Amino acid sequence: MAAADANNEPLLVVEDYEVGFRTERGLARAVDKVSFELDRGETLGIVGESGSGKSVLNRGIMGLVSSNRMIEDGSVLFDGGQMVNRNRQEFWGAKIGMIFQDPMTSLNPVMKIGKQIFEPLRQHLGLDKGEAETRAIELLTQVGIPEPARRIKQYPHELSGGMRQRVMIAIALAAEPEMLIADEPTTALDVTVQKYILDLLRQLQLDRGMAMTLITHDLGVARGRTDNVMVMYGGRVMEHAPTDTIFAEMRHPYTEALLASVPSLKHAKHTRLTPIPGAPPDIVNPPPGCRFSPRCKYAQPKCTEQAPELNEGEHRYACFYPVGTDASAEALEKNMAQGHTATGLKIGLAPAKAAG
Amino acid sequence: MTDTLSSPSSPSGDPIVEIIDTADERASDTIEKRTLGLGFWLCIGWLVFICGLAALAPILPLKDPDENFLQFEEKESALTGRVTEAPVQPPYGPSAEHWFGTDLDARDMLSRTIYGARVSLVVGFAAIAFGMLVGGSLGMVAGFVGGWFDRVVSFCFLVLLSFPALILAILITSLASRSLFTIALTLGILSVSPVGRLARAATLVFAEREFVTAARTLGAKPSRIIRREILPNVMIPMSALALLGMAVSIVAEGALAFLGLSVEKGSTWGKLIRTAVNSTSDLESAPWMAFTPIGFLFLTVMALNFAGDRLRDYFDVKELSI
Amino acid sequence: MMILLLIAVSMLTFAAMSFLGDPLFNILGPVAGDTENPENLAKIEAAKEQYYLDKPLPERYARWAGDFVTGDFGVQFSTDGQPPVSGLLKERLPRTLQLMLMAQFLALAIAIPWGVVTASRANGVVDRASTFTSFMFVSLPNFALAVILFYIFALKLDWLPDTYHATDPFWGLTHRHRLVQLVLPAFTLALPGASVYQRLLRTDLITTLQEDFILMARAKGVPKWRVLFRHALRPSMFSVITIFGINAGALIGGALVVEIYFRIPGVGTAIVEAVLREDFPVVLALVMVIATAFVVLNFIVDVFYTFLDPRVRR
Repeated sequence: MAAADANNEPLLVVEDYEVGFRTERGLARAVDKVSFELDRGETLGIVGESGSGKSVLNRGIMGLVSSNRMIEDGSVLFDGGQMVNRNRQEFWGAKIGMIFQDPMTSLNPVMKIGKQIFEPLRQHLGLDKGEAETRAIELLTQVGIPEPARRIKQYPHELSGGMRQRVMIAIALAAEPEMLIADEPTTALDVTVQKYILDLLRQLQLDRGMAMTLITHDLGVARGRTDNVMVMYGGRVMEHAPTDTIFAEMRHPYTEALLASVPSLKHAKHTRLTPIPGAPPDIVNPPPGCRFSPRCKYAQPKCTEQAPELNEGEHRYACFYPVGTDASAEALEKNMAQGHTATGLKIGLAPAKAAG
Repeated sequence: MTDTLSSPSSPSGDPIVEIIDTADERASDTIEKRTLGLGFWLCIGWLVFICGLAALAPILPLKDPDENFLQFEEKESALTGRVTEAPVQPPYGPSAEHWFGTDLDARDMLSRTIYGARVSLVVGFAAIAFGMLVGGSLGMVAGFVGGWFDRVVSFCFLVLLSFPALILAILITSLASRSLFTIALTLGILSVSPVGRLARAATLVFAEREFVTAARTLGAKPSRIIRREILPNVMIPMSALALLGMAVSIVAEGALAFLGLSVEKGSTWGKLIRTAVNSTSDLESAPWMAFTPIGFLFLTVMALNFAGDRLRDYFDVKELSI
Repeated sequence: MMILLLIAVSMLTFAAMSFLGDPLFNILGPVAGDTENPENLAKIEAAKEQYYLDKPLPERYARWAGDFVTGDFGVQFSTDGQPPVSGLLKERLPRTLQLMLMAQFLALAIAIPWGVVTASRANGVVDRASTFTSFMFVSLPNFALAVILFYIFALKLDWLPDTYHATDPFWGLTHRHRLVQLVLPAFTLALPGASVYQRLLRTDLITTLQEDFILMARAKGVPKWRVLFRHALRPSMFSVITIFGINAGALIGGALVVEIYFRIPGVGTAIVEAVLREDFPVVLALVMVIATAFVVLNFIVDVFYTFLDPRVRR
């Protein structure tokens, strides 16, 4: 454990962090001036569609993007140390653990489960083979795998998807990292298994006082399992607030659209899903002004002229016409009246809209 | 970090890139697939050049490959003090007169190599032509009609293939007279099986395609479908294999010649090499005798291999060449 | 299937040898042609009986096959009928096996690090240079390569012996001396194989390195060399192993040339000698041994898959 005064400092301080990829068409800004903080023991949900930059942000921070076309800029302080533009191998597994989306492909198919757990144990904790085995069995027990002593002699294909994801969690936690990046940890799993894995992650995170980023495209996943939620779109932060706040009074139209577009276990059974019109923005040539404006039902001329800044404070959002305010109500009314938004998106009442 | 494998290429020069650049790899792969590239045309150029030389050898201003170009020098007899013209012991090294030197009988190496190409190339070409004709048609029909015929043909291919090729070649050539015809036929038989298997595999793929089904439903005869619909498509992967197969046949002829089992009359590259390396002292004192035919053989085989490889990538038929 | 294949191979060889050659000449020498002389005629008849040459082809084949299966490879066709083929085989086979094992081992020993390095820096300078190099080795016929290696390392640099022991002393040499003698032949056989393996390994490794579990291994902090060799290598070996079996056939052909050139008295030399003197049982036995080895090797390769990939295990 770090010194007492260090504990009050955030574990991760990200400031104006940018990740770009050189492409033939120009620079693709996958992450565009993102700033946020992550406290020790905090769970941050990072939510967005595919292409929103949420995965690149995390892999960029970890230094795991394998392309020499990548450039990064800005500042990422982990425990006070600068991470940007340097080799971050020393962090991998030891200080930051990572869980990937698909447990089917993320475990080495030709290596026994045990050996895959031993690796970080021996690498980072310097355990010998016997100690590593004892520890591995402990870890597998913690993540809820029955008969761990038998499992470590099995190959990944002999385990179910949920089991494999538990194994992956055990591997990521093996060296007791201070931070865990869970990149869509349940997307590839059966719906019935998802909840168990998510709850397990939350419980392990709380037990260990570990910081965690939970990356997901499903806002519902973040509910109840995160302390804060950050919504990203087109490489930028749209909204960032404590989880309760964001569900109670979301401000950004994108957050609103996102919640309406994804089915949730907590929704009533026949709730109508509203897809977000249009496609994620082209990050090489992003639309002028607010990046979400072409798909936003509230969009006004101002939205296409300048990009709204994130405001300061506990509830951050970047919008001129925040949801739930008079400004947005007016904007929507105006757009309804003219039948389209300032960016030309046609809107109107759905023919058979379910009433209240 | 002493990591020698990572490529340092971030703007600050620190090695932030790990393992490989997947984007680069894919990008360049797709680019390379679309064009045949300069290398391909260079290879084709060399092949045209060497074939032209071989075909036109008699009318080109080349030296007679069988003439002895003995060189003389004035020698003073130690006994009598008289100056006489005495022949210098061949082989002679490369000179302006003989670019690639001469052999033990003072015959011009370049001419001999070019005349040797005539046999080597004809054997190589005839062999693969035979393989394409027999193997190609057998494979195509087998793939198209299926059933017991397919099983029998496939089994025959397998039997042929389980003979180590050179052993089979030795077997045949040692039993029959070693004429140009026999050698070419032998190597042709050897190429039947690989060509046939490819033709069969390709036919199986194309026989499932819509245009063949369409032709079938329209009532086209099987023979017509094979000729008009399948043959043109199968020819594409086969053309790449033809180049590779020709390289194999030329090498195989060389190996037979090296073992003393190639054509009895006329010289081939393999025979030239065999003659040159028969004695260690000759190889040491007159390496050009061996390396001239080796060089020509190598360039030709490499050109065929490279062009065939390129062609295969170009048509993206790797998955067919099982 | 395997056995059917072997039967077909042996029948083909048997038929070819019977139709195309006249073994009587080899047994009796010029006597065979002289049917006028009753004394010679008697000899011919005796020989025919001894070698079943008067029997119809299927029966001869059946007799031979029965003997072969029970380990009796027959006797050589020579005036005295000695030594038995099995003796020849016992003497020659270990030499060829040693050469081929050395060659295959060398090929893998070269190809694996070479493939890993080129794949880990795909399209780098090293990779491009090695593409060219491997192409060169593949396009160099092994007899040419043998000459080139011999010229450079034995004649010019004088690192290795330039004389090769023709016959008997070979097996009596000290172990070290024998290995030295095998260096050039083994490298001649290994280099083209290594190039092929390297190309295959490189392609497969590049695919494997894009897999999620490689990223996962990196993310858990496994050092890069360990990721390459421990995580990526094994799942990338399938093509190499497949070709390893097939390549054995090419290697046998190559071994023949190499044995002749370096005057190693192995199976290759034996088969060429036997073919040249139309020694029917020897050729048949050797071809069968080679074909069997080839088929068995490819069977072993199939078994080896299951070791490499536990997913194929039932």
